[in-house]
Amino acid sequence: MKNSSLKSLVVGCVLVMAFALAAVAGQPKIGVLIYKYDDTYISTVRNALAKALENKAEVVMQDGKGDQASQNDQLDVMIARRMDGLLVNMVDAQAAAGVLMKIKNAGIPVVFFNREPDLNVLKNYAKAVFVGTNAADAGKMQGDIVKNLWDTHPEYDLNKDGKFQYVMFKGEPDNPEAIARTEWSVKQAEANGVKMDQIGQTFVCNWDTALAQVAMESALAANEGKIELVIANNDSMAVGAIAALSNVGYNTQGGGKFVPVIGVDATEQAIDAINRGIMSATVKQDGEAMGKALATIILNMVAGKPNLDGTDYSYDASGIAVRIPYSPYEGK
Amino acid sequence: MNEAKRFNWAEWFLNYSLYIILGLLIVSVVVWDRTFLSWGNFANIMAQASTRGILALGVAGMIVYTGTDLSAGRILGCSAAISASLLQSTTYGARMYPGITAPLPLILPLVLSIIAAMLFTALNAFGFAILNMHPFIISLGTQLIAYGALCLYIDSQAGGAQPLANLDFRYIEFVNGSFDLGFTRLPYLVIYLAVCSVAMWVVWNKTVLGKNMFAIGGNPEAAAVSGVNVARNIFGVYLIAGVLYGIAAFLEAGRVQSVTTSTGLNYDLDAISGCVIGGVSFTGGVGTIPGVILGVVILQTINYSLYYLGINAYLQYIIKGVIIILAVAIDMRKYIKKK
Repeated sequence: MKNSSLKSLVVGCVLVMAFALAAVAGQPKIGVLIYKYDDTYISTVRNALAKALENKAEVVMQDGKGDQASQNDQLDVMIARRMDGLLVNMVDAQAAAGVLMKIKNAGIPVVFFNREPDLNVLKNYAKAVFVGTNAADAGKMQGDIVKNLWDTHPEYDLNKDGKFQYVMFKGEPDNPEAIARTEWSVKQAEANGVKMDQIGQTFVCNWDTALAQVAMESALAANEGKIELVIANNDSMAVGAIAALSNVGYNTQGGGKFVPVIGVDATEQAIDAINRGIMSATVKQDGEAMGKALATIILNMVAGKPNLDGTDYSYDASGIAVRIPYSPYEGK
Repeated sequence: MNEAKRFNWAEWFLNYSLYIILGLLIVSVVVWDRTFLSWGNFANIMAQASTRGILALGVAGMIVYTGTDLSAGRILGCSAAISASLLQSTTYGARMYPGITAPLPLILPLVLSIIAAMLFTALNAFGFAILNMHPFIISLGTQLIAYGALCLYIDSQAGGAQPLANLDFRYIEFVNGSFDLGFTRLPYLVIYLAVCSVAMWVVWNKTVLGKNMFAIGGNPEAAAVSGVNVARNIFGVYLIAGVLYGIAAFLEAGRVQSVTTSTGLNYDLDAISGCVIGGVSFTGGVGTIPGVILGVVILQTINYSLYYLGINAYLQYIIKGVIIILAVAIDMRKYIKKK
């Protein structure tokens, strides 16, 4: 027992050493706090960011595991390690005040991204910037897609009542992006002149495929043949809804019965589904562009250059936030 | 642990092998990155371990009974929501209670937080002591109830579900402040942990309640036959755990400065891991307060050093998993030896 424990220790130590990032002299140290690694969209940002910072900075990245308390702990460590710059993707954007205070006391330049803290809070620190999207825009773009589908596919109005009967899949109950997308997709469709009629309650499925599939199965059990449209806050849930639909003979490859499904994110899986004709459209949140912008901005800040030097972006009305635009994707 | 043992190197090594291994691990971290050895890091680790430590002090008693508590994390979430909602800045427009226009004394939310936690632990105690359910099962149920209550509470805000944030500055200072010792800072959180630990040491070692708790954990039938009121003892231990959960929740809300529906998720597992590493045996009747604290601090040191070395996030899970398995393996060996 003793010996084997010691052996495990030795193996453990070797692992620790082997995987620790080698310090590269002369390059700035950039700490990256990610809200959760296993989020499809954030993974795109993460990979684009790592690629953009390659050979330009020593990057230390941590997984917040969807837990703000863990992220606070990770921040303490980043500050103790005297990072030259920080990129922070808050787990809970409302906790940004405390996080900002710690960073400000340490005097480290910081870019918050993706999950949007109160910009008035960020204004308390001269070396803080936000890079994100405009939460309402993704919803509005979905609303425009709804209008487009309604106009080009009169057959989608199954009961011919002149209204689009839809079910809604929402991300998390208290997430601002989820709230904005849920609200604006329908508002924009109505503003475009489409009469919208929701079936049942909004399904809150925490951005999750499996939960959305279960919810869609129950919706179909109750209302099969009445659902004319599925709107989801993200592609993972849209894909879950499609899985449920295909189990009862809808949205299968090669025609037949079809319920239009709209998501957000343009994940590989969703793009593939759209190209195969089993999903209608998605809204692309450009993770690659976000990753590149983050890398450029933080390196500028660390080097003391103007923040947006070398990018095509400009600040929005707040003066400290950069918005990466969305674009619709409706297939090749 | 048991006093009056003849000194035996093999036994000593077995009893302390985990600490020796972890000591070596820490030494190897320092060898890898010498900056790790600093008072600032030490203060950070202790502060991070504080709320988890207080929670673990509560869970430890249940493990002594050969039980466990899967609901501790969600109970903490509920109580944290109560604390945070009552202590939002009175200048914050979207606060949960717009009726509170003058800042409340800090003690009131603390007391309410404790009461809420005690209600839940009383439910656990009722299931365990009166209904004779296994603590695993009853706390599994309580966990869901607490989570549902937390979601309802957070969703009941005028503006719909949103994180409880923008806390009163006095509260943030009370939790996150520290004494400047010159060479380092001493976070208040560490003092709160120390106070709770001393109080629990007294409960475990100097009171009838504590002594009976160990008797029941070691052999419930024998304890009952020798006149111990088992049910009353269980309620006592669980209610004290409730007090600790309430305190931990109050401090955690102030530490993170925002409470959401996911606050407290998996904290119970951290607390249980800390207890196990610290030698509180799942076979019952064995455990010490210094052990619990040491276990939690060791777990936090592992966390901190994995972050510090910038280890791949997924690999961190594997390393932690290996360490917990090692801990339990050694824990089992101690039990086998005893038999």
